[in-house]
Amino acid sequence: MKRVLGRTAFGIVASAALAAVVASVVAPDADEPAKSPTSMPASVKQTVNPSQALAGLLNGKDEKGNPALDSDELAYFKSLPGSAVELFNSAVADENITSSRHLAELLKVRMTPDRLDVVLTDNCFMCHTDPESQTEEDLFSMDPKAAGSPPFMSLASLTQDVHMQHGLSCAGCHGGDPSDVMDHDYPPIWPDDADARTRDRSWVPVFCGKCHADVNLVGHFNSDLPTDQLAKYELGVHGKALLKDKDNRSAECVSCHGVHGILGKNDPRSPVYAKNVPATCASCHADARKMQGYRLDDGSPLPTNQFERYRTSVHGKALLERGDTGSPACDDCHGNHATKIPPQRVCEECHAGDGKLFAGSKHKKAFADHGWAECSKCHGYHAIGKTNDEMLAVTKGALCRDCHDEYSKDNPACVATADFFHGSILYLAQGESRVKAEAEQFARQGLDVEPLEDRLGQLGDLLRQLRSQVHTFDADRFMKVGGPADKVLDQLDADAARARREYRRRRLGLYAAMVVIIVLMALLWLKLRSVE
Amino acid sequence: MSDQARYGGVLGWLDNRYDLQPLFRFLGHKEVPIGRHSLLWYFLGGATLFFFMVQVATGALLLMYYRPGEATSYESIRYITTKVPFGWLVRSVHCWSAHLMIVSLIVHMFSVLLLKAYRRPRELTWVSGYALFVIALCFGFSGYLLPWNELAYFATSVGTDSVKSVPVVGQWLLEVLRGGPDVTINTLYRFFSFHVVILPLAIVGLISLHLLFIQRQGMAPPIGETGPSRGMRFFPNFAMRDLLLWLACLLILLVLAVFLPYGPGVPGMEWQLGLKADPLAPAYPGIKPEWYFLWVYQLLKEFPPHILGLEGPQLCLLIVSVLGLLWGLIPWLDRRARAEQESPEFSDLGFAAVFFLLFLMLKAWDIGATKGADEAANLATVARTCAWIVVVLAVAINVVRATVYRHRWFLLSGTEVLHVVLHGFAGVPYLVAAVIAGALGGFALLVGRWRTPGADGGVVRE
Repeated sequence: MKRVLGRTAFGIVASAALAAVVASVVAPDADEPAKSPTSMPASVKQTVNPSQALAGLLNGKDEKGNPALDSDELAYFKSLPGSAVELFNSAVADENITSSRHLAELLKVRMTPDRLDVVLTDNCFMCHTDPESQTEEDLFSMDPKAAGSPPFMSLASLTQDVHMQHGLSCAGCHGGDPSDVMDHDYPPIWPDDADARTRDRSWVPVFCGKCHADVNLVGHFNSDLPTDQLAKYELGVHGKALLKDKDNRSAECVSCHGVHGILGKNDPRSPVYAKNVPATCASCHADARKMQGYRLDDGSPLPTNQFERYRTSVHGKALLERGDTGSPACDDCHGNHATKIPPQRVCEECHAGDGKLFAGSKHKKAFADHGWAECSKCHGYHAIGKTNDEMLAVTKGALCRDCHDEYSKDNPACVATADFFHGSILYLAQGESRVKAEAEQFARQGLDVEPLEDRLGQLGDLLRQLRSQVHTFDADRFMKVGGPADKVLDQLDADAARARREYRRRRLGLYAAMVVIIVLMALLWLKLRSVE
Repeated sequence: MSDQARYGGVLGWLDNRYDLQPLFRFLGHKEVPIGRHSLLWYFLGGATLFFFMVQVATGALLLMYYRPGEATSYESIRYITTKVPFGWLVRSVHCWSAHLMIVSLIVHMFSVLLLKAYRRPRELTWVSGYALFVIALCFGFSGYLLPWNELAYFATSVGTDSVKSVPVVGQWLLEVLRGGPDVTINTLYRFFSFHVVILPLAIVGLISLHLLFIQRQGMAPPIGETGPSRGMRFFPNFAMRDLLLWLACLLILLVLAVFLPYGPGVPGMEWQLGLKADPLAPAYPGIKPEWYFLWVYQLLKEFPPHILGLEGPQLCLLIVSVLGLLWGLIPWLDRRARAEQESPEFSDLGFAAVFFLLFLMLKAWDIGATKGADEAANLATVARTCAWIVVVLAVAINVVRATVYRHRWFLLSGTEVLHVVLHGFAGVPYLVAAVIAGALGGFALLVGRWRTPGADGGVVRE
């Protein structure tokens, strides 16, 4: 019995040892970086207790007798380091926070501890967030709509404002001393009363420019930020209308950038973030009421359908649907601060190659003689569609044919050139589609399509170049690129034929193997019959 | 040895040295029992063995070119399929053979269940066969990651993630499996080691044991036939038939490998290389595991996040583990078969299991879903379509069972069909439908026992 027990014990110990060895071998390396801690490090844990007064506010009740602070707000407070608790203690001691409701509103913002000293020592901020000491009009809150305040009095937006982030708070624009008693000495540039400030908004760009046109001041915060906005604005359509013509409806800084809660242009929430620019411009330009009275140079009313048309364009789809911020928005052609009707060759800023080819073509002069805008004559503007090879066709209804029928009827060479472009591109494009479809089939059949795909890439590049070369309107220059493309298509056809032969060989090999196997099976069957 | 003129040629030369007489005597006496069942069922083990041998052969060839590593796994598989002579064929045969091996294993297991070949004294043959099935699944799971492509990477991430649900040691197990908290190249090294060293050693040992059991005990005769029975000589009669089947399997493998080199193209049964794995890329859309894991994947989806105070996935995996354990213990649970009596409940259990697995698998394939349709509407449509398929199939199978094989016990398969009907046609949630159908099935069983309280427990003999 003892021996049995001894063997069993030995077995258990040996198994445990073996399991431990295996576990230590297969377990992940011990020297892997430690996982991020789930609780706060000891150094940032609260080392300061809330004062009695603060504790009273934290435990305060609302009118219905329910706790004034919810669990999220309390949890946020508990996560704050001791230095932040000290700031709250001081704010309560200085009677800047006097109610649980006010405290709850401040905690709802969930500011990072390093930002708390900016706001908790700022009397403007402390006073204008206290619902018990402010009128609705002057109260910043997390939900301005519910509080009955104007939308720009959002506390959440204010704390994210790019100026606030850099330490420039209310007094930076509104004047006064945030560390002193309540004081409202507006800067001299601000008109005295609220009506005057609204009646004539021309002071706004000048006021913003006080800092933003100051290289030394702006450079102190962000050396990459330009300082020519005011100068450009004065040159632009909006600037001229507001500053010279005193048209108070014209857009100024606040119209696009907002007021409290201004965000940097790279922040996706900003109204001037590339993807949001069309909607920001459309907030005025798509509004017939706001645009009433504005006219184009030819005297016709300024249209309000630009945004709708842009949305359908190749650029609009890329930017708004695919989120491709490289695609142009309104300001890329019209400028942003110096807004203008785009110059004729604005497309060249991106489509430089096509623009250069057009500039060297005979159409350059013809277009100039007619006074036509260059690119937009064929491609349109705002609703610029995706180009297609049929634009070059010589059938009725096609772009080249229709234009030449109207303006250059007696020039058969031009029609022949367009026909040549159209035919050549179509031939190559059809060849490309055919081989692509075949390559997909070969891939499904398990054949090596790498060489085909490489060459298809070459043909795709050449086709792109050829489609650009049509802007030369010159068959010889077109052929310089088209010649190699022809050869590549021939090689592709040869590659496809080789792949077809390989697949045929595989099937023949299979059939041969099948014959051998079936003969073997038959022989085996006969042998089995003879045995039985 | 004594009779040197017994054999001529090479055989005589070998016999002269090693005395082959006992071996030939053993082979000469070995017989396969012939009963009222089709002899075809006895060939399925051999077919599985054939596919395994193909796996070993093609795996060895692939190993000559495959290089595990972040910069080499994907590239070497690409090289094998595009540049190595017949590399495409070897990989395609390896993949097809893996799937066909699982298919023949499943059919073999169900045939053993229906013939009750697991009954005493062959309990350990069933257990070793079941263990072989589990190892085969592990082979499939570990081999899936080796091409290091997008599909494999994300499927392995999802597959290994379910291990986290194991109570207490879940996170540790996950990290052991992955070689860290995430699927990285360390995971591939582990899977490679499993696929080409650990699992092959285990499977060779188990196959040897499984075959040893069969050699010692012979193939199971039909149930109830304990006395001397008719038999077919294993050698050469049965062996030649086996060889014929192997040749047919080879033929099917080659046709599939040439005409469908990347599989039939259904989720969980495709092996086109696609793009290289990129851990930073967004998850592969519509990711699904191999077809033999689809039922677990779908069952996990049927569980809510929290149920009965447990995490939903935890309870699901617990149920799957219990079902798996019970499946392994069938030889001991089927007491009537041990006494050489028909046990129609266990035959019906097999069919119920087939309907249960099939319904979940079809659902996981989203059979009947329409693109762009509302998600909730699609779920209902898929459940209804899959229920139609299972119900029609179940009715057809049970009619054949009742008329051709004279089966009279359909309670378990009927309960499962009711489960499918409640969920697919009446829109009852899957788990609620399972509880309702289970309760009704249990009630019917109790009523049956109460009405006929005889020794057979109210069960009509087959």
